[in-house]
Amino acid sequence: MKPGFDGLNRGSNNRHSPDDDASKQLVSFRVGDEEFALEILRVQEIIRHQRLTRVPNCPSFVEGVINLRGRVIPVIALRKRFGMEHKTREGDTRIVVLELGDMVVGIIVESVPEVLRVPIKAIAEPPRIIESQRDYVSGVAKLPDRLLILLDVDRVLAPAKSAPA
Amino acid sequence: MQPISEDPELLRAFLVESHELLQGLDHDLVKLESSPTDHELLNQAFRALHTIKGTASFLKLEPIVRVGHSAEDVLSGIRQGRLQFTSRIMDALLAARDQLGSMLADLHAGGLKKYALDDLLNELERVQSGEASPYQIENEDHGSAHAKDVPSISSSEAAIVSNLKQKDAAVPSDATAVQSMRVDVRKLDELINLIGELVLERNRLLQLAKEISSGRAPVQSSDSPLLHCALRLSFITEELQAAGLRTRMVPMETVFAKFPRMVRDLAHSLGKEVELVVRGQETEIDKTMVELVNDPLVHLVRNSLDHGLELPDVREQASKPRRGTISLQAEHEGDHVLIRITDDGAGINHDRVLRKAVEKGVVSQEHAERLSRKEINELIFLPGFSTVENPTDISGRGVGMDVVHSNLRKINGSIELDSTPGAGTIVTLRVPLTLAILPVLLVRVAAEVYALPLRSVEQTCRFDPGDAHLVEDQEVIWMGGQAFPLLRLQTLFLHQPRKTPTAEQKIVMLEAGERRLALLVDGLLGQESTVVAPLAPYLDCCPGIAGTTVDGDGRVRLVIDPSGLLAVATAVGQAVAQ
Repeated sequence: MKPGFDGLNRGSNNRHSPDDDASKQLVSFRVGDEEFALEILRVQEIIRHQRLTRVPNCPSFVEGVINLRGRVIPVIALRKRFGMEHKTREGDTRIVVLELGDMVVGIIVESVPEVLRVPIKAIAEPPRIIESQRDYVSGVAKLPDRLLILLDVDRVLAPAKSAPA
Repeated sequence: MQPISEDPELLRAFLVESHELLQGLDHDLVKLESSPTDHELLNQAFRALHTIKGTASFLKLEPIVRVGHSAEDVLSGIRQGRLQFTSRIMDALLAARDQLGSMLADLHAGGLKKYALDDLLNELERVQSGEASPYQIENEDHGSAHAKDVPSISSSEAAIVSNLKQKDAAVPSDATAVQSMRVDVRKLDELINLIGELVLERNRLLQLAKEISSGRAPVQSSDSPLLHCALRLSFITEELQAAGLRTRMVPMETVFAKFPRMVRDLAHSLGKEVELVVRGQETEIDKTMVELVNDPLVHLVRNSLDHGLELPDVREQASKPRRGTISLQAEHEGDHVLIRITDDGAGINHDRVLRKAVEKGVVSQEHAERLSRKEINELIFLPGFSTVENPTDISGRGVGMDVVHSNLRKINGSIELDSTPGAGTIVTLRVPLTLAILPVLLVRVAAEVYALPLRSVEQTCRFDPGDAHLVEDQEVIWMGGQAFPLLRLQTLFLHQPRKTPTAEQKIVMLEAGERRLALLVDGLLGQESTVVAPLAPYLDCCPGIAGTTVDGDGRVRLVIDPSGLLAVATAVGQAVAQ
């Protein structure tokens, strides 16, 4: 049971957690050397990496499209979106399928995603250090053993406006 | 909120029925203006109001009853010959109709509100007493002299009139059209029959499957019962799909219905005299297409009214009849619906268009001089292009034509424009009968498979590298004494270097609107009828791709849009040249 999509839903919207007020449920994964997380409510499903069909003349971070049970959805390479160096695909890549209003988009992540519950108190405003990702970052979660960068789904997936690569 | 009947079913039925009645009323009232003594029309309009009023009364929807009742009285007066149909009465009735539409919309959205109906009701009262109107709602100037003399009456009338004009083409009830539709019973019967056959064949399949898996089936030969069954299922599924799609077809009347009113109102507010001719209303179109075609049509008709047709005096000076004509016409052509919007106005000013294009850097000066009339017409479809110096609130903001163009292309449609300065403009929209199924030709380029819309394929032939030449940085191929642009998907899409020609390479001649192009492919893989989905809005980046389809293995295949491909190639060519 997901709340309705609000196109103006930016930044911290911690009150819309599916569970109690004290914690949020997130899906975390690695891209490059860092670990990111998304609100579980936006995650439709997680699938194994499939062979993509490339769509020509698209922005470079759009890797291509796949067939998800009859629906053709675009897949984004977060690595490229974040301006990281290109790396060849290694073992554990997955595609996290997200819903964005009535659009469905997949993102390529580089580890098997984990679902975890994070106490609200552990979530803070993003530090100014993470410059390049400032736009997509809605916060930082400090866990005992690691730091999760919380992504703002809408901003990360903002429609490709840039000219073809 | 007004108290309403408790039964949502009744309410829903009332909304659907009244919406239809109001649409018809719109139509009838506008027609009555030109033929005020048509009794059939009068009776029809009266019945519509009477029905709405009656049901509203039963459902205790008081505001609707009040407006309906007053309007009904006016029509009654006309029917009985007590009143003459004047422009003023017409405006009052249309205002009443709009008010009803707006109340229905509110009802649909949740409930009736409080309405300030006094002005409207008073006006409806006044017109019944047959008062001579001091304020003539005509476009000639002689009315205005009177308007100054009588302050109080004309102010409230003026309010109604201006209110009416503000509604413009945004007739309220349309936006809340309830999502249901009428379907011819015969189409449903056809569907049910096919489903019956499907069920029988499915039973057969189940039986065969059981026999095979339990080892009781006979040896599978090339003439196997299983193959027969599968083939038959395939056939029935195809028929079923076609029949299903047919149920969703509605007559163009659904789209055309709003135009008589819209044209009338707009013409009045612009001070122009227009006659609207509508033909081919019975031509059927897929319901999903109705929404897609609606906005472009409204935009184009507004364009004609605003920029195309001249003011009556100007027309007279040009020896044209004072009354301009706009015609809307729909017809089937192959697997498309053709919708033509014609006006006998001033046409497109080619010089102005060229000037603007050069100004905006779209074409260079020398190139501009070499453009044919057709090519100049097409410049209009470029983003941000508007030749109107002072855009009105009706159109001319420069976002119209290019949006129309790209929206149509997304659904494998097209738009073409032909214009003769001084004589008029013809805009032709081509829209596929249905979005869903497209016969395609599959081609291989390197390791990828692409689908080409079969209707765009003119012919295929062997590729002889000797036929290819370079002309001004654009590769062309000579065929039958003519030169056609030669496009290599390998370069355009895959960004791979050209490879040595092989014997299997073929040329596919494609139609792209008025032009033709030659596509070089590495192999032909056959034809297929397939379900095509448009590209997600996220992927709006490649004009050469019309959509996607899924192959037998579940992989996504790209469907090519020939016109878009040509545009990409031209852009690339220009980039290379610079």
